[in-house]
Amino acid sequence: MRFVDEFRDAELGQAVAGEILATVEPGRHYKIMEVCGGHTHSIYKYGIDDLLPSNVELVHGPGCPVCVIPMGRVDDGIAVAREPGVIFTCFGDMMRVPGSQGTLTEAKAAGADVRMVYSPLDALRLAKTNPDREVVFFAIGFETTAPSTALTLKRAKAENVPNFTVMCSHVTIVPPLRALLDSPDLRLDGFVGPGHVCTVVGARPFEFIPADYGKPVVISGFEPLDILQSVLMILRQLDEGRCGVENQYRRVVPYDGNGRALEVLSEVFELRPHFEWRGMGFISQSGLRINDAYAEFDTERRHEVPGVRVADPKACQCGEVLKGVIKPWECKVFGTACTPERPIGTCMVSSEGACAAYYNYGRFARERQVV
Amino acid sequence: MSAGARACDDPHHCITCGDDGVPMRVLELDDARGLALCADEAGTRRSVETTLVGALAVGETVLVHADVALTRMEAPA
Repeated sequence: MRFVDEFRDAELGQAVAGEILATVEPGRHYKIMEVCGGHTHSIYKYGIDDLLPSNVELVHGPGCPVCVIPMGRVDDGIAVAREPGVIFTCFGDMMRVPGSQGTLTEAKAAGADVRMVYSPLDALRLAKTNPDREVVFFAIGFETTAPSTALTLKRAKAENVPNFTVMCSHVTIVPPLRALLDSPDLRLDGFVGPGHVCTVVGARPFEFIPADYGKPVVISGFEPLDILQSVLMILRQLDEGRCGVENQYRRVVPYDGNGRALEVLSEVFELRPHFEWRGMGFISQSGLRINDAYAEFDTERRHEVPGVRVADPKACQCGEVLKGVIKPWECKVFGTACTPERPIGTCMVSSEGACAAYYNYGRFARERQVV
Repeated sequence: MSAGARACDDPHHCITCGDDGVPMRVLELDDARGLALCADEAGTRRSVETTLVGALAVGETVLVHADVALTRMEAPA
């Protein structure tokens, strides 16, 4: 398909890898974080890290929407799902995220009506066909997904669907990045920016990274050539001693994002003062909630949501993996007690999670070969 | 089978959770409802919200996430 095939060309990939090799300074170690879980998935799926010189290290960031959901939030979801008359809907990977008392899949097995949907619109359709039940949509995701929830809420209001509510767990990407950059135990040289988030927010919100922290950012597409080219663009900035925000994904990302999407978001949502992130704790103004104009569609105002706080399991090191402090295989339970079939931590649930991506694509080798 | 069901049934990849954007071609327009019937690479069809990208033409390619067209796709330079 056009826009896809040309970005998977192996020969071109080798050529870009050659340019990367020619750009790196021997003896210098480069640590580049790919912010988005979609990039992590592509990197492992296509073996992109194998094409990089040994002194260019890709570190996985906090941009997997499933991985950042804390256990307590899953418990809250399960509590709502167990209420009589509720049809609880969520995306596929969310079904398998463990809370302290099990997963939504297990809650379903125990009798709760939990259903997987592809989009919030599907959940709204379900509400229309089940007028005697309340359909709750467990909304997760970054700014890429939040407009879909916002548009669905607008549609629910316009079409007057009173039995539809949203348990909003949407998050924003900039606050956790700032938290990461302020963290003393992390040394990074640059960022591969989250392409699909930027279709909504644009590249401008990332300008604080070069301005305040002196590190380059390249907004990147998700095909193998996109990621390789973005790594090259970051290395070139470093080589030339400059830093700024560059947009590799111009075929999709306008520098200023999608104005209409931003308008829709501000019509429906407002920032929470704090939101809890798995492994990263509470981060100020990093989560969205439904505003007063849409209060009737807010699950948290219609139900008694327990607001559970649960510490992450001691053995699980998702927090360190999400911050790029350790590699997935350095976690004590990786591939033994924690597998995609029986995940302990969220990073093993979604294929965008660094641990599951590592595990599913058989990347157990701890030493890479030098290209 | 819908794209969503196929994608989310895959034990290793939920495309909505994964912030994936799927290039889809516009087949039919329903401007009154702000919807378009679109098809992905495999020919799977979904009804897609077009509010965020404005008026579309049949044959255009848009990037779709969670049944919402986020942006029009431009030819690579």
